[in-house]
Formats: sequence, structure tokens, C-alpha cells
Amino acid sequence: MIPEENLLGETAEELFEDAPCGYLTTILRVNRTFEIWTGLTRTHLLAGKRFQELLSPGGRIYHETHFSPLLQMQGSVREVAVEIVRADGSRLPALINSVLRRDDAGRPRLIRTTVFDATDRRRYEQELLYARRREQEIARQLQRSMLSGALPTAPGLDVEVVYDPGVRGLEIGGDWYDAFWLDDGDTVGLVVGDVVGRGLDAAASMGQLRSAVRALASTHLRPAALLDALDGYVRRHGVGRMTTLVYAQLSLGSGCLRYACAGHPPPVIVTPGDEPRFVWDGRSLPLDSHLGTGGRAAASLQLAPDSTVLLYTDGLIERRSRSLDDGMDELLAAVSTHRDDTSSPLSGAIVRALHDPERTDDVCLLTVRLRETDTG
Amino acid sequence: MSVVQRNNVAVHGPPDARPMVLAHGFGCDQNMWRYVWPAFAEDYRVVLFDHVGAGGSDVSAFDRDRYASLQGYATDVNEICGELDLEDVVFVGHSVSATIGLLAAAVEPDRFGALVLIGPSPRYIDDEGYVGGFTRKDIEELLDSMDSNYLGWSSAMAPVIMGNADRPELGEELTNSFCRADPEIAAHFARVTFLSDNRADLARVSTPSLVLQCSQDAIAPETVGRYVHHHLENSRLIQLDASGHCPNLSAPEETIAAISSFLAE
Repeated sequence: MIPEENLLGETAEELFEDAPCGYLTTILRVNRTFEIWTGLTRTHLLAGKRFQELLSPGGRIYHETHFSPLLQMQGSVREVAVEIVRADGSRLPALINSVLRRDDAGRPRLIRTTVFDATDRRRYEQELLYARRREQEIARQLQRSMLSGALPTAPGLDVEVVYDPGVRGLEIGGDWYDAFWLDDGDTVGLVVGDVVGRGLDAAASMGQLRSAVRALASTHLRPAALLDALDGYVRRHGVGRMTTLVYAQLSLGSGCLRYACAGHPPPVIVTPGDEPRFVWDGRSLPLDSHLGTGGRAAASLQLAPDSTVLLYTDGLIERRSRSLDDGMDELLAAVSTHRDDTSSPLSGAIVRALHDPERTDDVCLLTVRLRETDTG
Repeated sequence: MSVVQRNNVAVHGPPDARPMVLAHGFGCDQNMWRYVWPAFAEDYRVVLFDHVGAGGSDVSAFDRDRYASLQGYATDVNEICGELDLEDVVFVGHSVSATIGLLAAAVEPDRFGALVLIGPSPRYIDDEGYVGGFTRKDIEELLDSMDSNYLGWSSAMAPVIMGNADRPELGEELTNSFCRADPEIAAHFARVTFLSDNRADLARVSTPSLVLQCSQDAIAPETVGRYVHHHLENSRLIQLDASGHCPNLSAPEETIAAISSFLAE
């Protein structure tokens, strides 16, 4: 039988020298393909060079701190991205695989490395990375611009908001807040909501719902009726299904707070002389939920001067390492601790107190304090 | 959460022996010591741990403010020694952890009996009259490098890298698991490591110290090793034949011999 190598006219030397990848045994042998790709000659390479010296300075650190330890521990490393500095100073983006061979005593003897030209792939990756960062940036800008606008101010009314995007989240969430005057000049509308999902879609849906709530609120719909109308909007336009929100109307003159919660965490009420508490009435299902709406409930209560209302999203109370009940207890405890601290805004103190370094979700907290005014 | 859990502390050897704390550098985890620590486990109480964000540490303990400088990592070392009630500690720090050990000894000089600094560098970036070996641009390039190498892992591998125990089946696919790290924490650690300047801290330490300098170390060149030796009172410099930045992996025998001879003095 004819040896295969003869049949194909290939020799071991050719297989090595003209392999469709760069091939080095560091660095005692190097193949022709590597010389052609890099412009580095074997005379230069075999003069005591080490492979990491061929890399960009940043890549060299990566090599020493990640690649080399892995190779020593695992015996092989695959698909690591590096940049090799060519003879003319330009860079060859490459993917490298290495295997470590040891001698009989277990000491490292040599490293074989194959080098794959990854110029186009790297460019594509960079475009993807760029596109992803850009999308995040656009979504953030969109979110910022949609959430911009002055909060209502009046003697006897303090409105504060903290909006803290998820620290480690890759994409923005769909949390929103809003506070605006209703036409009578005595009542403010207060909203905190949470659209399902993340990214541009969530941000766009959030913008639509926020505008819809504003428009509906201007027609003097009471909270339950507003949620009903919003259900219709969500159904008709296919936007923001399963969104949760709380909508409240606060009359400065009478101190009357009317509110309705669509599947949203309950507001916290702080009245002078009492412990902070959740209000569990006025609840119904999220917008256009699979289970129908269950009928929109609303509730109202009378706020004494110096009372505070807190509306927030679940990012404030949820975290992986504790139950929701614990999170809610912690919220009440934090409110209790900071309610009378006049040195810093209450909303900021609470968000800091409940800070979760692991959090990826956005946190939104709107606090509204009704103050006693001179005119009473 | 206990410090032992936070830093994934592992203890070997006789409980009443002199403690030896081994600290890994930027890039991997306590596995870096796998060829070294067994040699000391008969005569020393060997303590291994992972910095927060690396290996089996508790990622949720990561806090940008706490770890905004190497001092945060040094505080962790002191807390580990405190929780285990270690005295007369031999601290062996590789790479950036050499600096972390110096900071820990500066704060609690009485706790440490000896420091072994493997490939130390108090500042990686060149400065007037000082050659650290790198420029700021090089460090940016390192971050890019880390970015491209995390690219393939970003979504599918993120749960594993972040130590998510919910999906153990993914663990087997992650071949590079010794160097697993949450990408954002790793980038943060890289910045803190390579942009810090701890040259002035050398004068704060008088603990007997050994500087182990490798040949052809791309990260901590010989001039830097000599600089550390020169500015660190009570230090010895041993030049290893081992080349590269990780003699604890590439030349464990020579590394063990150098540490042993220093400790026998």
C-alpha cells in the first residue's frame, strides 16, 4: 500500500511549515505561515525570544496573569484572544491555542502554540461590542430624557426622587416615576411603575405608558378608573402588558390621598407618632394580565400634616439573598430610622440603607411629604 | 457572612504550627499555590484564600468603595488573620498580593513575622525617574484584552463565572475555571492593581522580608525587584532562575527552596 503522504505529495515538513495557521514550539521552531503573517523572521524569533514578548503590552499582562497560569494548571488553553505585534509595528489580532508538554520529571519542557488570524472576527466582535454599548447608551439617554422634567413644588409639599439604574445590569429596566399637578391646582398626581423586560423595548413602552398616565390623569379620572382606562390602552396598543404601577392623587388642601395599586408593591405611609406601615388596600392585578383585571380597586386615607408617602419599585426590596418579606421589613426599619433625620433627604438615606451590591435591577423611590404650612 | 466564607478560606496542616498565609495575585485564585503549599503543610498551618471577586469567594461581598484601593484587600487579609487568630504570620504574596501583604503588615506590624514577596511591584506605570514597565495606555489595552476574552462567555457563561450553583451542568464546560471571575469585578481589580502607586508604603514596613525576583518577568522586571529591596528595610533579594511571572507554577521547587531557606534563617 502506498503511504498516504506520498499519495498526496505532502511531507511532514510541509504540513508544519505551510499549515493554515501559525505554529510555534516556543520558541525553538516556528513555521513559515507565522513568518508571513507577522513579518517576523525565524532568525529574529529563535534568538531567545519568548512568545509573550511578541504580544502587545496589555496582552502580555493578560498572558502572564491568565494564560500562563492556566496553561501550567490545565496543560492546555484554548481560544484566547491576543494581539501579536508584527515586524512593522502593526497588530495581528489572533486566537491562540496552546498545549504544555512536560518531561518525565513533570517539569515544563515545551509549549506548542497555534495562531489563528482573527482580523475579521475581531473587527466584527468590536462592532458587536460597540453596538451593544451604544444601545445601552441610547436606552439610558432615552430613559433619562423621558424621566426628566421638574417635580411639582409648593409650600407644604416636598417631592423627592431617587432613580438608581441597576449597577451591574447590562440594559436599562422599565421603571418609571412621575409627579405632576392636576388641573385643579390643589392635587398632585403621583406615579411609580415598572414595565416588564429590559432594554430599548422596555424603555419605549415605559415612555408610552408614562404619557398615557399623564393624559388620562388630566381628565380627572380617579385612580381606579384611570387604571381601567390604562388597561384598555395596553390592550389596544399591545404595549406594556403585565406592567405594575401605583397611581395616587394627593390633595394638598384636604390631605386626602386616593390610590390604586395594579400588582405593584404597596405604598408606605408615615404619619406623625405612628410606626411606618404598608397600605394593603386598593389592590388589583397588573395591567392587562392573563387573569383579566379582577376589577380595579382603589382606597383613600386622610394624611395629617407632616405625613410622608413612599412609592417605589421592587428593586428596592428584592434581593437574591433574602426573602421579599425580609426586604419589606428592612424597608420599614430604614424608614423608621431615617424619617426624622433632617440632615439628608429621606429617599437617598433609604436607598443607601437598602443598598445591595449584587443588585442588577433598577431602583426607583418617590417620597412625598405633606408639610404644615403657615396658611394651614 | 463570615470572613472565612467571604474569602473561601482553606486551612491545612497542624493547627498549632506557625501560620503561613498564601495570597494569589490578579488573574487566578488560590489554585496558584497548588504546587507550593503541600511542601509547607507539615511544618506550617497553611492558610489559602481567594480575594473577593476571584475563585470561590463570595461575589456579593464585592463593594466598589471598599475595594477602590489595595487597602481594601489588605483589610481582608487582616480580617482573615484576626478571625483565625493567627500570630507570627508568614505572609506569602504573589504579584499584587505582595503589595497587599505590605499594606496589611504596615497596619498590623505585630501580627506578621515574615513576608515573602513574589514578583512584587509597588507601581506598574512608569514615572519620572522610575521604570515600572508599563504606560497607562498599556493598562487600557489590558482591559480591552480582558474584554475580548470575556466576550464569548458573557451571556452563556456569566452564571458559571459568577459562581451560580443553580446550574452545575455548566461548570464542566468552563475549562478556564481556575481563572473564573466576574468580568466587571476583574476589570475593577485590574484597574486598582495596575494604576495604584504604593512606593511610599515600602517605608512603612520593617518586617523581615524576602523579595523573590524572576528572570524575564514581563510584569515585574528586575529593576523593580531591586527597587523594592532597596526601599524595604530588612529585606533580602533572591534572584530565581525561573522565568516569567509565576514561579509558583512554573518552578515550584526553586520557589519552595528559596522560601524555606529564608524562613530557616
